[in-house]
Amino acid sequence: MELGTFGAILRFAMQLEEQSAAFYAAASGTVSLFDELEQAARKRLARLEQARREGVAEMILESITGLDSETYTTTLDPQASAASLRAQARALEEAAARFYRDAAARLPIREVARLFQRLAQEHETAAQQLGEETG
Amino acid sequence: MKYGTLKNYIGGEWVASTSSELLDVHNPATDEVIARVPLSTPDEVNRAVAAAKEAFQEWRETPAVVRARYMFRLKALMEEHFEDLARTVTTEHGKILDEARGEVRRAIENVEVAAGIPSLMMGYNAEDVAAGIDEECVLQPVGVFCCIAPFNFPAMVPFWFMPYAIACGNTYIVKPSEVCPISQNRIFELLDEAEFPPGVINLVNGAKGVVDALLAHPDVAGVSFVGSTPVGKYIYATAAANGKRAQCQAGAKNALVVMPDAALDSTVAAILTSAFGTAGQRCLAGALVLAVGDIYEPLKARLVEAAARIKVGDGLDESVQMGPVVSRRALERVLGYIEKGLQEGAALLLDGRQVQVAGNPNGYFIGPTIFDRVRPEMTIAQDEIFGPVLGIIPVADFDEALAIIEAIPYGNAASLFTSSGKWAREFKYRVRCGNIGINIGIAAPIATFPFAGMKQSFFGDLHGQGRDAIQFFTDRKVVITRWF
Repeated sequence: MELGTFGAILRFAMQLEEQSAAFYAAASGTVSLFDELEQAARKRLARLEQARREGVAEMILESITGLDSETYTTTLDPQASAASLRAQARALEEAAARFYRDAAARLPIREVARLFQRLAQEHETAAQQLGEETG
Repeated sequence: MKYGTLKNYIGGEWVASTSSELLDVHNPATDEVIARVPLSTPDEVNRAVAAAKEAFQEWRETPAVVRARYMFRLKALMEEHFEDLARTVTTEHGKILDEARGEVRRAIENVEVAAGIPSLMMGYNAEDVAAGIDEECVLQPVGVFCCIAPFNFPAMVPFWFMPYAIACGNTYIVKPSEVCPISQNRIFELLDEAEFPPGVINLVNGAKGVVDALLAHPDVAGVSFVGSTPVGKYIYATAAANGKRAQCQAGAKNALVVMPDAALDSTVAAILTSAFGTAGQRCLAGALVLAVGDIYEPLKARLVEAAARIKVGDGLDESVQMGPVVSRRALERVLGYIEKGLQEGAALLLDGRQVQVAGNPNGYFIGPTIFDRVRPEMTIAQDEIFGPVLGIIPVADFDEALAIIEAIPYGNAASLFTSSGKWAREFKYRVRCGNIGINIGIAAPIATFPFAGMKQSFFGDLHGQGRDAIQFFTDRKVVITRWF
């Protein structure tokens, strides 16, 4: 789905975090980092909700182009083996980081773009940690 | 019916209207009846005014810092219910959720500014204006004020006035639009929860009968209005004849001037939002593009191409970029103007009449519509269409563009798109419009600035929002003191 409005982008970001939190909760106990990652996803949800509430500016509600949710979706199976779960989690974190970086470059509202950059960094760190665990 | 029959809020109580006259409130995306609004009686207006008058003395004696705390409480409640309020706006008005969120945000922003009332309401003084004589000016609240609100920003517009009025120590009555009354009714539930003293804030649903009763009532000190120019004139004249202060924000026909040196990509995006955001039902909406010189052909092509891609549908669907117009009547009115444009010889480059929205066959949808070869004397270049219809007028130079703007009877807003500081300066200096955008399509002032307007777009002197609002809702009293 094309993410052509500020609200559509924020909604997709929130869906990403909800999906992450649900995945880490369902696979809890299999990989040591997962509980921490679930909590981080839930905290990000609250930050995104606040950004959606406070970040809208009437004079610059212009359409946004070049973002499609399909580019950032990953397939998740919380019943898989521990090794597969780590790989899935890493793919999920990398996709989220990519989404936040791409979206930040297009958002006309600086505070929200800054938040997206921070969230991208958090997801990149998580992906790196998962990679280190895998290695 | 999702919201039932709406009630009035008088003297701190929700009261069912005794009126037998009720109007249906529709969801414009579906045509479904979602509420019924009573056309309240003059007697109900009298009761609201009496409640507000009774509450005034105690409220004005309440310290400004305490009144400010009510503002903080109201802000907290509005933040807590933010998404619900935005969805209510979309459901009754049709605008997309982003626009509704922007509207609720601006309403809250006005509460935030009004919470600064302890500083905003400070007077000033001078010692020794003559030997041993001091002089001071204090700002005092006036009494009962009211607001007659439009349909296009059902949550926000009363907040250009009400928070300042009550923060200053006045008491207040809101008459929401009878087309979109639900958002204000929902906000009054929050005001009730904030536990303002009974009578400080009141809501009376209705239409012209309520307006006339408010304008005639001797205990109403002033009125704030936003709506069309003929009604604005009527309210201003009637209020003045009855000795009331008035601020009446009226109609608009806003021009967007694009210079040859404009940044085309950003300009196209800004024009589309301006013309088609809220389905063209903003008083700040860009209605005419004045394309200067060589920019005309590429700009025209890009506008049509981009506007054709705008997704029209139910504003609650976040993939949608433009919602319906507010009512069937509004839809028919806009369709009539498109017909008129064709009859007068304008070239229809993009026809929004055939738009189909899957799953919403009864919604009041009309797609982005663009006319080319519009001439200033055409009806579609002169009348406020209040729908998603944009006219393009090619002009030779900057001065021709300014002459066209000057000839428009309205003076609400105008924008210039350019990379030149010189043109920007000339534009903001010379154009007789209240809200000027430089590379901004919607020149919407934030709450600390007045929502301005000139010519036939505003009747009065002090505007809503910011310092103007504080001036409007207070009297200045000068005290000269000498002690023997």
